[in-house]
Amino acid sequence: MNEGPDNSADDVFVAKARQRFEESVDRMDGATRSKLNRARHAALAEAGSRQPARLQWATGVAAAALLAVLVWTGNQPPQDVAAPAVADIEILLTEDSLEMLEDLEFYSWIDLDEASEMPPEPENHVG
Amino acid sequence: MNGRIASFAVSCGLPERAGDSTLKSEAKLNRFFADVEKRALRIAEISVRDRDEALDLVQEAMIKLARNYAEKPAEEWTPLFYRILQNRIRDWQRRQMVRNRVMVWFGKGNEDNDFDPVASAPDPAGRAPDDELESHEAMRGLEDALGKLPARQREAFMLRTFEGLDVAGTAAAMGCSEGSVKTHYSRAVHSLRETLGEHWQ
Repeated sequence: MNEGPDNSADDVFVAKARQRFEESVDRMDGATRSKLNRARHAALAEAGSRQPARLQWATGVAAAALLAVLVWTGNQPPQDVAAPAVADIEILLTEDSLEMLEDLEFYSWIDLDEASEMPPEPENHVG
Repeated sequence: MNGRIASFAVSCGLPERAGDSTLKSEAKLNRFFADVEKRALRIAEISVRDRDEALDLVQEAMIKLARNYAEKPAEEWTPLFYRILQNRIRDWQRRQMVRNRVMVWFGKGNEDNDFDPVASAPDPAGRAPDDELESHEAMRGLEDALGKLPARQREAFMLRTFEGLDVAGTAAAMGCSEGSVKTHYSRAVHSLRETLGEHWQ
């Protein structure tokens, strides 16, 4: 087995290669060192100017949520159809109308009946 | 009331502490890059044989590490940085291969891609004694021999020998097992010794 001497020769070779490499690093000219310095500062500045990954993720989620809300509200019936319902709630919540709550089914039936008598909406209102 | 004042004080204090922490982190990263950049540039330069391209690759690796991995423990930065750099080098080499194929297809060859060792040699700036010249020539011989190695062997050798990473760090940087690193490294040393001969100094 001649692993010992061979390994030793490998070690000598590797040490010499490392030394030559370090010498070549030391020989690096000033212009290249300066370029490296600028590259490092530019890299740090660029990385620092970007939002952190977590913030980018949160911004993306917020944007997606906003888009979803916009799409969802876009598919809702027009506001003027919902308006009578809001008016009804206001009437129901006034103090002198509390008795109406007892006959809620009756009043909702009247509301439906009135709605069925309303003229049809124009066809092109959805857009 | 005191609770409100305390919470206000805390809320006022937090941004300053976060700012200090960011500055410290940036200073630490700056020191890391300053320590590693020259060796990284030489390693990239040996791989792509073009200093300006190597400089771009090193800068890209710095940006990616600073942007995505700055929060990792500093002990992990070296293998992470070299992993990013090696990936960039491989991408660059793939693009060059495609580019060269296209050039050959159009009959233009790759004359503008020829490596000019004189033009790209570092400027000795007047320091040219015999030992400098000998060291320079020896390194050039080593670079040529490294250029003839398979890419993975070259990576393993440079990361272990030039950067001084251990087997685990080299495996992390290369994205392979420690066993593969040992194999690539051993073959690289054997091939280099054979190519350069016993008298290489």
